[in-house]
This record gives sequence, C-alpha cells and structure tokens, in this order.
Amino acid sequence: MVFPTMQFAIFFPIVLALSWALMSRQWAWKPFILAASYVFYSAANPMFCVLLGAMTLGNQGAAKLIHRTEDEKVRRRLVAAAVALDLGTLGVFKYYGFFATDINSLLDSAGLGMPIPLAAIALPVGISFIVFQAISYTVDVHRRIIEPAKVVDFGLYLSFFPHLVAGPIVRAREFIPQLSKPRNPRMVAVGPAVFLIVMGLVKKVAVADYLAREIVDPVFGVPQQFSAPDVILAAYAYAVQIFCDFSGYTDIAIGLALLMGFEFPQNFDRPYRARSFQEFWRRWHMTLSRYLRDFVYIPLGGSRGGKFKTARNLMITMLLGGLWHGAAWGFVLWGFIHGAVQVIENQFRERTKLSPPEWLKWFLVFNIVVLAWIPFRAPELSQAWDFLSRLGDWGPATMWSTPVVVVIVLAIGLQLLPLRPMDALRVRFESINPVALATALTVSIIVVTATISSQGVAPFIYFAF
Amino acid sequence: MSDKKNNPSILDRPTARPLRARDAIVVIFVTVILLAILKGNSVTRVGDTLKPGVQRDVVLAVGHPAGWIADLFGVDDDVGKLTASLSPDQSLSGGGGFDDPATAGADSSAVAPLTPDAFDPSMLGEKTTPIPKLSTVLVTGDSLSQPLDVELAQRLASKGVKTIRDPHLGTGISNTDLLDWGQLSQQQVKKDKPDAIVFFLGANEGFPLPKGKGKSAACCGPLWASLYATRVRKMMATYRQGRNNRVYWLTLPMPRDAERQKIARAVNATIIAAAQPYRAQVRVVDMGFFTPGGKYRASMPVNGKDTLVRKPDGIHLNEDGAAVAADVVMDRLKTDYTSVR
Repeated sequence: MVFPTMQFAIFFPIVLALSWALMSRQWAWKPFILAASYVFYSAANPMFCVLLGAMTLGNQGAAKLIHRTEDEKVRRRLVAAAVALDLGTLGVFKYYGFFATDINSLLDSAGLGMPIPLAAIALPVGISFIVFQAISYTVDVHRRIIEPAKVVDFGLYLSFFPHLVAGPIVRAREFIPQLSKPRNPRMVAVGPAVFLIVMGLVKKVAVADYLAREIVDPVFGVPQQFSAPDVILAAYAYAVQIFCDFSGYTDIAIGLALLMGFEFPQNFDRPYRARSFQEFWRRWHMTLSRYLRDFVYIPLGGSRGGKFKTARNLMITMLLGGLWHGAAWGFVLWGFIHGAVQVIENQFRERTKLSPPEWLKWFLVFNIVVLAWIPFRAPELSQAWDFLSRLGDWGPATMWSTPVVVVIVLAIGLQLLPLRPMDALRVRFESINPVALATALTVSIIVVTATISSQGVAPFIYFAF
Repeated sequence: MSDKKNNPSILDRPTARPLRARDAIVVIFVTVILLAILKGNSVTRVGDTLKPGVQRDVVLAVGHPAGWIADLFGVDDDVGKLTASLSPDQSLSGGGGFDDPATAGADSSAVAPLTPDAFDPSMLGEKTTPIPKLSTVLVTGDSLSQPLDVELAQRLASKGVKTIRDPHLGTGISNTDLLDWGQLSQQQVKKDKPDAIVFFLGANEGFPLPKGKGKSAACCGPLWASLYATRVRKMMATYRQGRNNRVYWLTLPMPRDAERQKIARAVNATIIAAAQPYRAQVRVVDMGFFTPGGKYRASMPVNGKDTLVRKPDGIHLNEDGAAVAADVVMDRLKTDYTSVR
C-alpha cells in the first residue's frame, strides 16, 4: 500500500480512530496495530507477511537466547548467527541475481563453466529496512543497551506500518520504550504532523513525480537523444527528484506516526546546503548514516588506528552503504565516490591550512553530490557513461521549460535559506485550529492529486531498496 | 526519546503546542468529510481501475456513500473543472473511443471484403519494396512496453531516428475506465506523426467487454475474443494511417500465472485475427520464443549464456529480456526501412 493512494486514505482514518480508542487498553491496542500493519504489508503481497513473521520470531528467539546466556563467547556466536541469518535473507532476496550473473560471467570467462542457477526472485518491499532494524535489535540486546522486548512489542517495532517499507530506520531502543506505556492522548503533535504530511505530499507528487515525468526519465532513459544542456538539467532535476521523493515519504511517515502518538527520528535536514561531505551525510538519510556509523564504521575501528585505517574504514562503510541501496554497480560506484571524497576531504583538512570561502565549499560539495547521483540513477554503468559523454555535445536545449527550472531552483534554493524565518512560518501554520488544519490538508490533497496522471502515483524510489 | 544528540527528532525544533488525540481524529475525519463532499465520486472511479480483489471491493464499497455525499452537494464537477488544468494527462476528447458508435465495428452479418492490404507481399513470395527513410518511431503500450522502449530508443538513436516513448502503465484495451486506447491511439498519430509504431500491451487484460444492451462478455471465450479483436483492429487501422505507416504489434510472452496464461492466449489469438486485413502494414511480432510451447520460463540462452529474461512478477521482461525483444523488433524494422539497416 502506498501512502498517497485511495486504499491508504480509507485504511488510515479507521486505524487512527481505533488506535486512539484502544490506546488505554494496551492488551487490545498492540495486537490491533500489529494486525493493521500486517494488513498494510499484505497489500503488496501476502506472502511477504510470512517472511516478516519469520524474521520477527527468529530475531526474537535469538535476542532471548543472547540475553539468557552469560558466556560472552557464546553470546558473540549467537549474535553473529542472528546477524548472518538476517543478512543471508537480504542476500537471497536482494543480491542473489546480481552475484549469480556476475559469478557466472567470471566462471565462464575463466573457462570453468559451473553456472549458478538463475532465479527471478521477487524482492519483498522494504526488506533492507526490516533487516537493518532487526539487526539493531539483536545487536543492542547483545551490547546490553536494551533488554529483549515482549514478542508483540518486537513484532510491532519491525512491522509498524508508518516506517515499514521505506524507513526512517528507527532503532529498537528508540521505538520499543515508546510501547512501554500508552501514548499520552493530551500530547499529540497534530500541527507538526499535518504540516509534514502536506509537505510530503507536495514533495512527492507535485515535485518528484513531475520532474521524473518531464525530464529525468526521458533523458536518463536515452541520453543519446539529448545534448549537454538537457543532460545537465536532468542531473540537477534528479538530485531534486530523489530528495523530494525520499524525504517526502519520510515526512509523511513521521507525520502519520506523530498523529498516532509516536516519535520517529529525523531523516533529512536540508542536505543540499552542506559545505562538506561529512556534513552532507549528517543531513542526508540521517538514520542510515548513523546506522552505518554505529554498526559498520565504529566496529571496524572508526578513526582509531591512524590515517590509513580511517580511510579504509570510511571506504568500506560507504561502499557497503552504496551496495545497501541495491544490487548494481552504479550504487557501488556512488558509494565509492562518496567514500573517496570524504577521504580526500579529511586529508585536505589535515594537510593544509587553506580555508576556501563558504560559497566555494558549498558549490563544490553540491556539484560533486549531483555528479555522484548519475551512476546511482542510470540502470547500467554503460548508460551512466553515455549520459556523461553527452556533456561534450553542445546542441540545442530541448527539455528546458520555465516550470521545470523554477521547480529545481526553488527546491534547492529553499534549503539555502536561513532556518529561523522558515521555522517561524512553519510554526504559524502548525498552530492553526484543527478544522483549519483539516481544510489546509483537504485543499493540498485536492491540488496535489490533480497533478497525478491517470496511471497513479509512481512508486517511491526507496521502495526498491 | 533516548540519545537525543545522536537521534534528532522533528519535535526538537520549535513546533506548535501539542493538541489532544481527539484533535488528531477531528483533523482526519473533517478532511475525509470535505474530500467526500468535494471529490467523493473519484473514489468509485479509482475503484473501477483496480484489479478484482479485496482492495477493489473495499474501495468500491466506500465509493458508494462517498459518491452519494458528493451528489448531495453537487460541487464535485466544479472542483474537477477548477483543477483540470493541473492534470498531466492528455485530454482525450473528440470521439474515436471504443464505444463511439460512429467508429464502432462493422455489421457482422455483412461479408467483409478482402483487399490487397490483407497480404504482406513476402507472404506471397513477392519482393517487398523497402521504405527509404524512418524518421520517427512511437513505442507505446502498457508496462510491458518498458524497458523495451528504452532499448529500442538506444538502438535507433545511432541511426538518427527519433523515438517517442509513451507508456501508459496499468492500462488495457479491455478496460476503458482508466484510458480509452481507441481515443488515445488517434491522438498519438495526430500529435506525434510517427512513421512506425511499436505496440506492446497486455499485462492488465481480461476485463469483461460490453456486448450491448447493458450486458457484458466475460474473458476469454470466443465472444470476448471477437469483441477484443474488434478493438485491436480499430487501433491497428488508426496506427497504420491508411497505408503510410508500419505497425509492429508484439504478442504476449506467456506469463507464469495459470489464470494470466488463459488471458494471454486469448489476447495473442485476437492480435493475429485482428491484423488479418492489414498484413501489408501490420506486423505481428511473435514473442513466443520466450516461452516455447507456451511453457513459462524465467531464463533462456542469450548469446550462448543462460540469462534471466523475466522480472520476478512472472509477467514483464527485464532489461535483458527487453534487449532480446528489441533485437527482434529491430530486425523487422530493418526489413521495412533501408535507413536503419
């Protein structure tokens, strides 16, 4: 089920009303929300619910065992087995085809000819997010940061529908404590929730889908048909599209959770205003960044152990971050670029006392980020190369139109404005009375849905990850 | 929330004061009521486009009272007119639809005359006269036409051919609720003026077809096939634009699901029957090699290597499969047009 659809518009009001009606009776509330979340997930494919249920029971069993065991060696083995099982699940569903094809090609070119069987395996929606959250639970139990939750609480944590399919990646230690007592019905952030839902809808439907339709899909599909001005515009348009698509989804997810009384971590903080790559990663997909930091970078040794090891750890983390997005060399290259520029940035900071002007730092960071999106978006590396090779052909601009340029400039420009006046405007909107909030939500839904084509809302980009 | 420094929340910024849960429910339910008043009829319209199943039943069940509320206030149409300019869809006015009596099928009791157009010269052992220049190709259809459209566009770009990609996801010839292909095909040839049309559609077929007097024929018997073939033939007639254009109509590679196979077999039979009078211009491009003997397979040998050619849904072609299909279409284009050889 996708958020901006008729099915969800019917599903959510019923679930919200019943959720608050049952909130004080937790024995009824928890199974109800668990069931609602499974209904939400089954809309994609009922078989995916079996996998979700199995992952819940498997990780819960592991967490209980880890907690009960005193011997640190055994505990370590248990957590390793649980993490391997989770990653194995991810590997089968997400990476099998990718590696099977490439290993087959390698064996074939070496004349070994031992083909790995090919299979077209359906990718369960949101599997990467589910796996990461499951790992965070067992690892945090192993690290004694949290105690194992009740199975229903852990089941709710993994399946809670607002964050089920595309995050934000909520940690067990952030969510499960919120289940320990009923949410306070007198402390609901209604205004911020409605603001986020409205903004999410506008970003996704009116900006991201519009740019995809008008310029990104045509140009990235067949770059050979376009010359440099169109290709350049398409690269900037994709940078805006992916930001608005993904942050739009998380805005809606966070807003829905707030209406239900739950607080999720922030996932984006105006990333295109970053003046360093480190800053970019503190602003872009923040829940993935901190996850990779805590579960990959720091366990690898982090910045302890000298320059070389720091650089190595950074590269491994970013390459894995790239691969997490999907089984394609384009994602690996994207991760490599982000790792390499952070290593260079660290070296530059340590070795020179030069301090370039702020605008130059922003300009460099922003444009390298845009450049790195090209292999991320192109379905094949060869197509990314085709795209880049068009930069040498200064033909006519056939895709430039005022609305497209205005949307791109606004989406980037708004991130560069100072925060305080923007916050003041936002708080004024959030403070209007509930009926006025409902009217604003209605108007935005009508206007935004009017821009949807007859084919419906395009799937969120991160659903595929 | 714990560990606020590492896990900033939206609520860490200045926000409005919290309200009550009751206010959250008021906001959502007032929104629902306003939407029912202003756009209530669209619920049923959306429901009609969904595939049969629980989701469709639920949406249609909600659609009836929502439509009733909208009719009570009578502002639904006005809201539609106010926001119509925002729609990215092409307006399909001007007739030519499948239900348009002016262009409906011929009297079935009359004997249809056979014309030379029913014969591709190559079928008769005659020499074909290739067309010198191919300037514009339209690749269209439903989700099946993706990523075939990209594969073809890439191959044709180097030959100086402009490729117009116009996929309409989720649509079908047997379902006019979402899109009337009769109208759309007329608009496509009028707007894009293509020399050749590559058409690949059939992932959303099997809807009942009207057979007159308010009754409908269910898929996939002879009556349904004849009604479907009439629609297909009408589109072929539109696309071939007299005798000027060449149309490459792809048959469906057998899907994995048994229910869908039944529909695919019927659709493929109708394509062949519908193309009969126009064989001189309409090429039926057989995709049967993906599923020899009508048996589904996810992979097949490509350049001597076993290669996955289908997507996990068991319906669509993946990039490699689309590349194979594009090669077949290119071969047919090369037969007809010298400029792409």
